[in-house]
Amino acid sequence: MTTKTHQTETQSTDFKIDISDHGPGRNKPQRVGRKLVLPMFVMALMGFAGGLIVAIIRAAELSDNGVSDTTEVLKHVGAGFMFIGFAAVFAAISFAIARILGEFRAGGGEVQDTIGTKTVNTLKMPASARVFLVGMMMAMMLILVPVILHFVFAADVSDTLASLEQSEERFIVLEGIRRIGVAVYLVSIAFGLATIIKVLRFESIRIRELPAG
Amino acid sequence: MVARMETLTRPAPGLDFRKPSKQRQIGIALGLIGLVLAVIAGIGNFGAAGDVADGTAGETLRWTFGLSVAGFGIVKLGIAVILVGILVRLWLRVASVKETMPQVKAPGDGTADPNGTFTSAWGKATATTSAPTALPIHKMARTMWFPMLAMGFMALMAGLVLALVASGESNPGSVASWFAWAQGTMFLGEAMLLGGIAFLLGSILAAIRDGGGEVQESVGVTVKTLKMPASAKAFVGLMMVGMMLGVAQFVLYIFVATGSSASPGAWFAWLGPLREVSLGVLLSSIVLALYTIGTALGFQFDRMKQIIGTGK
Repeated sequence: MTTKTHQTETQSTDFKIDISDHGPGRNKPQRVGRKLVLPMFVMALMGFAGGLIVAIIRAAELSDNGVSDTTEVLKHVGAGFMFIGFAAVFAAISFAIARILGEFRAGGGEVQDTIGTKTVNTLKMPASARVFLVGMMMAMMLILVPVILHFVFAADVSDTLASLEQSEERFIVLEGIRRIGVAVYLVSIAFGLATIIKVLRFESIRIRELPAG
Repeated sequence: MVARMETLTRPAPGLDFRKPSKQRQIGIALGLIGLVLAVIAGIGNFGAAGDVADGTAGETLRWTFGLSVAGFGIVKLGIAVILVGILVRLWLRVASVKETMPQVKAPGDGTADPNGTFTSAWGKATATTSAPTALPIHKMARTMWFPMLAMGFMALMAGLVLALVASGESNPGSVASWFAWAQGTMFLGEAMLLGGIAFLLGSILAAIRDGGGEVQESVGVTVKTLKMPASAKAFVGLMMVGMMLGVAQFVLYIFVATGSSASPGAWFAWLGPLREVSLGVLLSSIVLALYTIGTALGFQFDRMKQIIGTGK
């Protein structure tokens, strides 16, 4: 497989491409995406259900006894479960986008193979796809680290005013980090979808070149 | 209305398929603006943590809530713009395939594949002589995506104003009421924005289906169309549940805001997670929509190879 950057106007040429003699199939992130999208989807639903159940228990406790160490523990645990759900659902969305990109890559190569073109031209991973992958990993960390800390801090709450205040402070800081994580995840998803636009543009150009071989 | 939406999602006549997408650039720019707002709000939270002991953290937390949720909403708006760009590009791709397919397909043996239902590698499909008409859910998606996004964005901005008002209030009763309004309104807006995104994904599925049918009909082969997969049916179901939860949390927040609840603290304790679940369920429906798009594309590439290889 060789790498080439075309510079002419009428071919698949504004793009960095891999040239090979057969379809390249899906790359590793796309294969991972195909396998993990549904497990992540199920994990997300479980996380949301767990978070809501803990919240209902906490609401009952608040209604009966007011703020206590129990309600603070449940606050941390509930947020932990809820954001396991969000981390999983964002991961599932990212994997589903990777699966779509995989279909374009594998399908595009196979179509060129079927026609018997001299070379199979495949778009190299665009910068937007790299931002998508790196952003996804950063965002995952920004959500999962607070999730772990929520469970750690939940175990550290005692029934003193100082402890309850410290628990509240910790919750507020973790909330801020989680929010940044959610925003980074959403932006990385935007970059993943933007990659699909680039792939479609490349494909529209490449398809018109196929009759010439 | 539908015709006006079509002008946004169908390429304008003469649009150069080689040119980069404007929607892609606008969408990414909106995403980055939203990210900056969320980061500012996050930093605000770190500052507020130090004010817990003197009881003044709440004032900061109310505006950081409003700003961060507004930031998320703006990123989602950016995602929606990018999805519009995908729709435009899908139709440009259809035009390219229509032009190219007659030149690259095998001549065929003069026979056609029989009509009816069959099982493909990607699920059950139908074979017909002409392109199938649009499904009702696809018509609905094409009509609804824009109003949902517009209403969602307006609710989000209204909620941001309410959160800022709540942040400036000092009377505890007024604070609770204003902030309840802010939370309910902002998350209703978020749910609507995700609903708009889900409808755009439905429109993409419709474009893949209709475009595939158009191409096959134009080259005179049997039109093979994937039947609605189970993932698409689950997508519609989850989206409806998510939207209903989004509306329910809004109604319940109003209930608390109007002082109808004896213990608002207990209500807030489960309404917060409920509103998050509404978004979570909508996001889950989006996973299934994207999954279905992958399946439909896989079917479409297989069909292209079949037409090229056999001419029928």
